[in-house]
Amino acid sequence: MKLLTHNMLACHIKGVKNNFPFMIEVTKVETCDADYDPEFLRHMFPRIVWPAFLQGAEQMGCRDGLPEAATEEMLQEDTFLKKFHHALLEVRLQEGALVCPETGRKFPVSKGIPNLLLTEDEC
Amino acid sequence: MRGAEVLRNPGRVLRNEGGSSWYMCYFLHRLLDFRVPDVESVISMLGYTLDLVQWQLPHGNEPFSPFWYLRLPNIELPRLIADRAMLTKGFMEVWGEGSTWEELQESIEACPAAIKDPWLKEDIKFKIVIETYGWKLGDENHKDCIQKLQFIPFQGSVDLKHADVKMWLILCKTSDNSGIPDTVPDRMYFGREVSCSDRSRVDAYALKKRRYIGPTSMDTEMAFIMANMGKVQKGNMVLDPYAGTGSILVAAAAFGAQVMGADIDVRVIKVGKLDDQGQQLDVYSNFQQYSLTPRLAGLLRMDVHMHSLRPGLEEAFHAIIGDPPYGVRAGGRKSMPKPGIEIRNRENHIIATAPYTLGECLRDLLDLAARLLVVGGRLVYFFPSAPETYREDEIPAHPALQLVYNVEQILTTRYSRRLIVMEKAEKYDAKKASDHHLSLGEPMLSIDRLHDQVYEQRPGKECTPSVFDKKSNDYQDSTKRFRSKLV
Repeated sequence: MKLLTHNMLACHIKGVKNNFPFMIEVTKVETCDADYDPEFLRHMFPRIVWPAFLQGAEQMGCRDGLPEAATEEMLQEDTFLKKFHHALLEVRLQEGALVCPETGRKFPVSKGIPNLLLTEDEC
Repeated sequence: MRGAEVLRNPGRVLRNEGGSSWYMCYFLHRLLDFRVPDVESVISMLGYTLDLVQWQLPHGNEPFSPFWYLRLPNIELPRLIADRAMLTKGFMEVWGEGSTWEELQESIEACPAAIKDPWLKEDIKFKIVIETYGWKLGDENHKDCIQKLQFIPFQGSVDLKHADVKMWLILCKTSDNSGIPDTVPDRMYFGREVSCSDRSRVDAYALKKRRYIGPTSMDTEMAFIMANMGKVQKGNMVLDPYAGTGSILVAAAAFGAQVMGADIDVRVIKVGKLDDQGQQLDVYSNFQQYSLTPRLAGLLRMDVHMHSLRPGLEEAFHAIIGDPPYGVRAGGRKSMPKPGIEIRNRENHIIATAPYTLGECLRDLLDLAARLLVVGGRLVYFFPSAPETYREDEIPAHPALQLVYNVEQILTTRYSRRLIVMEKAEKYDAKKASDHHLSLGEPMLSIDRLHDQVYEQRPGKECTPSVFDKKSNDYQDSTKRFRSKLV
């Protein structure tokens, strides 16, 4: 699971209010190659909730070099784009869990795939 | 439905008009209803509005015929379209057409010199390719045909390997043949190849050579067609909510998109299976096989019915492409609420699921697409149907989505599927969407009884075996009239 995915998810257990972002429990993180595509990054940037992205990056260990606040103007800078690209697409949680900020329910991530199915009592 | 204007065939070759040119768009004789939408989607993807484009029906005004004409505003387009479209053989600048050799000659001679002369010059190396449609040409006939074209004053030399220009002679003869609809009139066409389609990706990504497939893996050609209909290109974000073995995702990634896949079934996306050497195979293996891993944004085990995409997330995807689960091969499942159940060991608990009707599944899919697509983005999915019970008004609607194409692929005489292409026309309005859903009530489609319809035994005509008739050298059976579409 990459931070791109992490930023799109929220805990959907019935009745949970404080559902975003998931805390990331890390067992194993890997870096992988991803296509560097500025057009794609410019498309995704406005859809990213930046504080959640920073929190995830902190937990995944790739916070380095990412600004506290990011603006659309930064998308013109190659240095920013490369750092954004790296944290968004090249760092992958292989094993671990997504933890609901309200209930503490853990959604396991194994082989890079988060399991987001709810049990019968949660939906 | 939205598409380019279709004109009737005027019975003569149309050439240039106000800066745009007419080309022959020579189609494959496959997936007949899909051919025009495939090309149109590629044109839209390339950034051209379809108002600038016109179709002209083939000779005889027979839409099943592969010899359509297309008017394009830009000379680069035939090459760009041929590169992506899956159901074209190529584009040709027609110099002449006719139903007899005399008519053909007359028509070629009438073609303006400005079109022909640049290719007739001394320094041009050329080659004549003879294509037949509906019959086969023997070697001797090949020479005869070339002889018949002697009247064209080519000054250059013939070069079969390194030709500067390829001339096509297409000979269509269906009148003494079976299998191909004989409504396509016999006709001869001659012209210059402008672009030739590259179908090599169908082989390069063939399912039979793919490491990890399952019984419902989407056929390679169809996966690419779906990606075309979704206007998928580099820089895009694409979602398949029923990813399975990732066949559609592979096609979208091959076209340069970042892709995300979800599936409720852990067996297909995570566990995978072992190959002969005991090596683990899964969706990742397929991406590795084609060096597409750098475009795999993510895989999720998720239920679209009760998904965990955050509430504020909108307009994140350019295309959502999927083959929803339905009854005939792999029925749909969804999460099942069971209040009060006591779960002792959450880690080992096997989550119960409930059956998911297609009506419900598509309501969820359309609403997800209406929310997650960018305006102008496309939802592409298959809708199973039985020709006998199909009703157009059963194709689900959504206030934010506009139906663009609805084309049928006949699978058997009793069962077909329709590729539905919808485009997001306006921003998502949650209230409007929920009012729409409330007004419709519980979604139940007649197709939710599909399994019964396909497998139920019915007496009568369907069970009589085909009889080979020596006189006509063909099978006499009721399916024949469908054969033109069964390709």
